Amino acid sequence: MSEAKTRVPIEAGFFTVPEDREEPPRLLATRCNACSEVFFPRRLVCAKCLSQDVSETEVGPRGTLYTWTFVHFPMFGSSNPNMTRYGVGQVDLPEGPRVQGVLSGKRDEFRIGMEMELELETLRENQAGDEIVIFRFRPTEARAS
Amino acid sequence: MSLHDVAVLGVGMVRFGAYKGGKTLTELARSAGFGALEDAGVNLGDVGEAYVGYMQAPIMSAVKIMKEFGLTGLPVTHVENASATGSVTFRDAAWSVASGRSRIAMALGFEAMTLMAARTQSAGRGIGRDTIDSVILPAAFFALWAMRRMHERGTKPKHFAQIAAKNWNYGAKNPFAHRQSDHVVTPEEVLAAQMVSDPLTTMMACPIDDGAACAILGTVEEAKRLHPDRPVIRVRAAALQSERYTPGHTFLGPVVGPASMTHTTAQEAYEAAGLGPEDMDLAFCHDAFANEELEYYELLGFCAEGEGEKLIEEGQTGPGGRIPFNTDGGLIARGHPGGPTGLAQIHELVLQLRGRAGARQVEGARAGLAHLVGGGSVCAINILQRDS
Ligand SMILES: [Zn+2]
Repeated sequence: MSEAKTRVPIEAGFFTVPEDREEPPRLLATRCNACSEVFFPRRLVCAKCLSQDVSETEVGPRGTLYTWTFVHFPMFGSSNPNMTRYGVGQVDLPEGPRVQGVLSGKRDEFRIGMEMELELETLRENQAGDEIVIFRFRPTEARAS
Repeated sequence: MSLHDVAVLGVGMVRFGAYKGGKTLTELARSAGFGALEDAGVNLGDVGEAYVGYMQAPIMSAVKIMKEFGLTGLPVTHVENASATGSVTFRDAAWSVASGRSRIAMALGFEAMTLMAARTQSAGRGIGRDTIDSVILPAAFFALWAMRRMHERGTKPKHFAQIAAKNWNYGAKNPFAHRQSDHVVTPEEVLAAQMVSDPLTTMMACPIDDGAACAILGTVEEAKRLHPDRPVIRVRAAALQSERYTPGHTFLGPVVGPASMTHTTAQEAYEAAGLGPEDMDLAFCHDAFANEELEYYELLGFCAEGEGEKLIEEGQTGPGGRIPFNTDGGLIARGHPGGPTGLAQIHELVLQLRGRAGARQVEGARAGLAHLVGGGSVCAINILQRDS
């Protein structure tokens, strides 16, 4: 069964890949211990106050849609035919960062200000048969369907 | 010597277009470079320093291509700042003269994007398959900005279409423009074109281009000596800034960058020039996508925040308007090869200030501004003014 396949991130160090496929991923972020600003992705120096006293933290999985668009051309890097047309958005996380990423959903279901939730999308399989995954956001209310 | 004692001596460019190998990088650069040297009335022996800009070309392309003009021992520096590359070669050449390091300096930009696309595909990284931030079409980033503006300000796609149509119609009057429409382009035609990323259509976006452009700068003394018959065109500002951290900053992926970057760079440029937006007779901006131009009307200080729509509705940024924008067709119609784009703006601005811009001429133009952003991370603004 495909359930047994290992999921590996498209690039390490950006998001978690939970063992449980029902569990949403979280983003790997940095918190500044001097001014409390939170950054995604991780960084060694606070971009706001330049302090190097920073800690690793995880953020998400929920946030608010700040803006979105729908791209009518095939997505780079994907061999998944379901992603020939796709949404892109920026999501404001309550911890602070504004995160840009691919959106899951139809063109007419996105509204600025709606709640979004992180999920993992399989892009393709590598030669070892592992699933290559990337994070994306979907409208939280779509979860039931 | 100060920056204000630096003048543009000559300009040259090759018509931008998708040559697809029909013209090599060397041929493109040679045409633009010799064009500018000839316009200035000098040869490479007179040039004290060169700044050469391109985004993607084989290593050492700058010095190798400079040999086409001669081998004189002059210092050659490669500059790369994404879309703003050409603007920065101009800035560096201007400061070379202003600092006294050279009396005449050369700014050269070239690019062959139609060849670059083939290379990056075979390289397998970059716009390839293996990075977290390479999976989104660039148009999407600017579309995100457009959608947010529509939400906040009630802007309509027709406003973006009006800007695009204006630039297409300017391009038709410019022999150096890639896109030269054989009919008057209407906003309706722009809106009906294929959607790339909501709300942006293909006609609101710049094409893929090859091209080259060049400017020769020198002391005002040299300008008067070489061409006593021409008006002196002075550099009033050559500003460059990178991003400042702002709330809502998006780090991952190529992004638009903070809008405030254009505002703060413009403030620096106006202050250095001792001029304000009210003194500008025309302007150029990074209109890779039409909605950007609307934002820059406000960020460059040509109208108050939220009044950009009114400016385009009233035709103030088109022929006969208060502040014509992108009279050469802009990135949308003149084209946007990357490396030379900023120098193509300078080419057009110089023609305008000389009163030699033909059907695109802005009556009595004395001063103008050329703005570009690069990779969502830098902003460059050059201001030129003609002696009265
Ligand atoms: Zn800090």
